[in-house]
Amino acid sequence: MVNIKDDFKDLDLTVGDVFSKDARLKARNVNVFYGINKAINNVTIDIGNKEVISFIGPSGCGKSTFLRCFNRMNDTIDSCRIEGKITLEDENIYDDKIDVVPLRARIGMVFQKPNPFPKSIYDNVAYGPRIHGLSENKEHLDNIVEESLKRAGLWEEVNDRLLSPGTGLSGGQQQRLCIARAIAVSPEVILMDEPCSALDPIATAKIEELIHELGNEYSIVIVTHSMQQAARVSKRTAYFHLGKLIEVGKTKEIFTRPRHNQTEAYISGKIG
Amino acid sequence: MFNFYLLVGIIFISFIFFIIGYNEAKNIKKINNIKLHSLSHYYGIFVLLASLLPSLGMYFIFTIGDDLLFASLIQNYVPIEVVKSEDYNFTIILAQIKNSVEGLIFGIPDQWVTDAAEVWKSWVYQSQIITSISCVFTAIISGFFGYKKINHKFRSRNAVENIVMSILAVSSVIAILTTVAIIFSVVFESIRFFALIPYDEFLFGTVWNPQFEGAERAGSGQEGLSQYGAIPLFAGTFLISIIALCVSVPIGLFSAIYLSEYATSKERAFFKPLLEILAGIPTVVYGFFAALTVAPFLRSSGSVLGLDVASESALAAGLVMGIMIIPFISSLSDDVINAVPQSLRDAGYGLGSTKNETVIKIVLPAALPGVVASIILAVSRAVGETMIVVMAAGLAANLTANPLEAVTTVTSQIVTILVGDQEFESAKTLSAFALALTLIIITLGMNFYALHIVKKYREQYE
Repeated sequence: MVNIKDDFKDLDLTVGDVFSKDARLKARNVNVFYGINKAINNVTIDIGNKEVISFIGPSGCGKSTFLRCFNRMNDTIDSCRIEGKITLEDENIYDDKIDVVPLRARIGMVFQKPNPFPKSIYDNVAYGPRIHGLSENKEHLDNIVEESLKRAGLWEEVNDRLLSPGTGLSGGQQQRLCIARAIAVSPEVILMDEPCSALDPIATAKIEELIHELGNEYSIVIVTHSMQQAARVSKRTAYFHLGKLIEVGKTKEIFTRPRHNQTEAYISGKIG
Repeated sequence: MFNFYLLVGIIFISFIFFIIGYNEAKNIKKINNIKLHSLSHYYGIFVLLASLLPSLGMYFIFTIGDDLLFASLIQNYVPIEVVKSEDYNFTIILAQIKNSVEGLIFGIPDQWVTDAAEVWKSWVYQSQIITSISCVFTAIISGFFGYKKINHKFRSRNAVENIVMSILAVSSVIAILTTVAIIFSVVFESIRFFALIPYDEFLFGTVWNPQFEGAERAGSGQEGLSQYGAIPLFAGTFLISIIALCVSVPIGLFSAIYLSEYATSKERAFFKPLLEILAGIPTVVYGFFAALTVAPFLRSSGSVLGLDVASESALAAGLVMGIMIIPFISSLSDDVINAVPQSLRDAGYGLGSTKNETVIKIVLPAALPGVVASIILAVSRAVGETMIVVMAAGLAANLTANPLEAVTTVTSQIVTILVGDQEFESAKTLSAFALALTLIIITLGMNFYALHIVKKYREQYE
């Protein structure tokens, strides 16, 4: 294992424990630019194995932008440029040799608004396994779909109508369908970009419960606006402000004894 | 010229009423020191409209009505022996008199025509006086009533709103009525055609050979020199449209995909208008491009391959028509592809799809109804296209599926039938209307179907 203390520069900005002993994803001195605007400023952080970590902060603080660096979704934006290094299992994902397509199969993503494809529920979940050739035959694919839907807690509700359109489900069901679709390709990390912001409280509670369970198998990074949600689902929390990572720490400590005054101001509702 | 002066006069009067109404509103405000319901200019506009609209209505009633009135009155001035003569046709007589009024005199007209024209002229003079007096009178009276309505409680803003709404509604009704009128005129002429030729002969006959009435059934014992089987025409239209689609659907769709998914915004800003220029080229230009460039090229390259290509071929017309309808498909498809939410693309990329996979498996299926609709609209455009086929497809009504032969289409037959002097009562001329009616039904049906598809799937996917 690489000595994690050696491969970063100054850390004067961030308070708390950015490193993790059992790190799966490592970001080192990451800067993100939109044109000439610097959206992310020198962020260094580890995402642990089978860890749920939440990114919080006021609107426009760059938490979503930073999340999208992990599966290189920012590549789809023309004006976006990234500096620094992010490694998945000690492999730099911004290396020229890295193929972004299998990378995104290893790092799944769930978006802010439920975005099922205008296809059947079955086809939605089977989409990933099909394009990556993960199934040997129809039966195997059926199993993957069933297993994914079960893990997303949706199987009981939809097993009698797998061929009806995914867009016909309720908002919360659609979002769980999107989670099922993401885990169908067996990713190592799941990125969630405010997955509950478009949902009602009951659907939110179901998703949060699901995140909690999935945390036993996957590394989950969740961006959220709700501090309560961060407190409920994650073990670690990172606070971003104006493109900088201000403080990282155990969720309980961040919310009870924030060490940085900006974190404290945000937690107590003075900013954001 | 008289009508123009009268209109200007009416508008001038109503403009004066605007100033009167505006000032009245200002005065009420100043003198009584109260707040009016609406802003002052709304009172002005209200009075303006109150004066203008009734007098305009009056004007149109008079100008349309007096012509009809004169036409019925002038009958009394036609000599009885003319009325009794065998080839009496009042429409022609009326045209003669009117021409004489306008000063268009051919040869030496009969004395009674000149007399009638003089009478007509005097009527016109009287009617001009009556029209101007009543229009000006209406403008002033109704403007005055509008003016009397002004007080601080009167809701002129809402009144103007209602009047504007009615003007808009009337405009759209006029547009619809015109369409209906066109269809009706075609329908009535078609009914006359079908009185001469049975509809099953027209719809299912396979030989199209219209002749003039004189040549037709002229005592020679031959039944029907003329034959009005429309199948070869519709087959020709169909063949050319298919060829056009084979060109335009792939090129149009692929360029739409390139523009919306792959091109940078700069390329898009450059290429899209360029592609839409194709839609702005007059079809007659396409026509001689097809006839003078493409057709000879096909003929010479055909002879290299040992194929016998007619100098006017369905292929030449179809190819060029395909190029013409590319912008219809690419522009509309580009719009619907752009309308596919970015979130669906993100979902595809997030699952590790390549751009190509995302386009084929996610974006295109989501955009399919719109793409299909754009294709159907392009087809109805192709079916109705005239100039290219007239110039490049030929006029021979061959019933063939061979694109290298000359065929003819519905539209080019309509053109050849109606160009030049025609006898209006003959089946040949009337057949143009029957063809037009069938064409209208087909294109209307396709447009309805396209709209239906778009509507049906839009509900399902959003």
